[in-house]
Amino acid sequence: MIGAFLSELLKLRRRGLLLGGGGLFLGFTALVTIIGIERASKTVSPEQRGFHVSVAELSQANGLVRGLDHAGPLMGIVMLGIFAAAFGSEYSTGMLRNLLVREPRRVQLLVGKFCALVVFGILVLLAAGVVSVVIAYALAPSKGIDTSAWSSSTGLSDLWSTMWHLTLSSLGFGTLGAALAVIFRSSVIALGVGVGWVLPAEAILAALWSNGQYWLPGQLLENLASGGSASVSLARTGLTLGAYGIVVAVATAYTFSRRDVAN
Amino acid sequence: MYGQKAVVNGLALELPRGVISGFVGPNGAGKTTTLRMLLGLIRPSSGEGEVLGSSIAHPAEYLAKVGALIESPAFYPSMSGQRNLEILCALGRHDAHRVDQLLTQVGLGDRGGDRFKSYSLGMKQRLGIAAALLPDPELLVLDEPTNGLDPGGIREVRGLLRALADEGLTVVVSSHLLSEIQTICDHLVVIDDGMLRYQGSIDGLLGAQTAEVVAVPEHASDLTKLVEVCTAAGHSARIVEDGVRASAPADWAPELNRRAMAAGITLAGLAVNRGTLEDAFFAMTDDDSHPIRAHLSDPEVTP
Repeated sequence: MIGAFLSELLKLRRRGLLLGGGGLFLGFTALVTIIGIERASKTVSPEQRGFHVSVAELSQANGLVRGLDHAGPLMGIVMLGIFAAAFGSEYSTGMLRNLLVREPRRVQLLVGKFCALVVFGILVLLAAGVVSVVIAYALAPSKGIDTSAWSSSTGLSDLWSTMWHLTLSSLGFGTLGAALAVIFRSSVIALGVGVGWVLPAEAILAALWSNGQYWLPGQLLENLASGGSASVSLARTGLTLGAYGIVVAVATAYTFSRRDVAN
Repeated sequence: MYGQKAVVNGLALELPRGVISGFVGPNGAGKTTTLRMLLGLIRPSSGEGEVLGSSIAHPAEYLAKVGALIESPAFYPSMSGQRNLEILCALGRHDAHRVDQLLTQVGLGDRGGDRFKSYSLGMKQRLGIAAALLPDPELLVLDEPTNGLDPGGIREVRGLLRALADEGLTVVVSSHLLSEIQTICDHLVVIDDGMLRYQGSIDGLLGAQTAEVVAVPEHASDLTKLVEVCTAAGHSARIVEDGVRASAPADWAPELNRRAMAAGITLAGLAVNRGTLEDAFFAMTDDDSHPIRAHLSDPEVTP
């Protein structure tokens, strides 16, 4: 498993992925943070609620993480794509047979690769967090935002819990991408099915099914990213996602270890 | 089994250590399926087998000592040849110093830093062979290793495989190029319809074929007389262009020379056509009634 972990890290060090996946992640986080602060105004009417926040709200302890909060769902989609591409490319390039000859213990190979992607994902999310914080501190004075509460113990606690929830949520999306790539043996199909399910399909289901927020995985992952909601607690969200995670892990490991590699 | 069809059926292979074994068969004969089973990529629906003394049900027990190139060489296209090897090296926990050494050995020393997708087919093939050699294997399985190589490259690979076998490595080469198999292999396995047709030495297979003695008389008017000399000695013969072809053992050629001289025929040429591997292969895979196939199906001939 250590070999699989190290070899996947070597693979993830390629420039295209760092500039593409990592750059997309950081660029998007920066953009959301900049827009969030630049659009802040003294007052926000009820119609403007959503992406508009007031200077007073941004001056609160949790003002620092507003940008990260908004970036959460799309960070998850990017992570789904990165994981799906990492696993799906083994099938499309035919490299999987080389990998399996060198590491025939398939579950170890799968787990090692997954752990490397988790490490990569955490590093990218940490970098995104740093970018967001630096930009927020840099832009705040120009909009008259008081940043003193951001560095209070409450502010730091908010930053930590937001990063934690965002990381878990993004890795959940990534796990979904990895599982779909193994099941469909293609990163393109995995990405199509994953994004298609999480965005339009779940949105429609959630609109039609009042209990959808309790059970739909995409809805739950978004809820996890925002630290839970009044209707679905963080504990319930975590338990349901944990159960889904176990089912997905067992199904993926079984599929990967039993299926013939014929191309 | 693939659907209702048995792709490989009752195939009992015995590959001697330290020699180069050729693995041949028509398209769809089950060669790649067999190799994939040996490498743990697909599971047999039933039966058992051993590689290097370990069961194929537990490929992890022997694959650390096996190198393989199956079908076309497959690597990450946007990464360099060197990085691809480093990734496989890390995965198998092999000595990282072997990467540069192997790239040089297969003639990619100065192109290791280039992206795999920029390689020619021959270069990709060389990289595949380098990857197969990464674990310093005891058994090397190569599927079409000379595919895409130029004549110089083919000769280099041939030399490399011979050198590896001389060091005690067991090499299995699957190829459609029968002349190539005949040139580089010592031992041969022929399968067809998923069943074993022959396994043994190439010399043994070729020796089972009847040779042809071709005699060209000085005067064309002696052709018919020369045929009579052959048939009188119990060998069938026919006139072909300006000579006579007799189905006879190679060592009968001097006797034919003596008999022709005794009959007053001066020979302008005398040659022996030994059968090629290609002749033997088609005899085995095309025609059930062919004498060679019948001969090879004799359990005393097939080891």
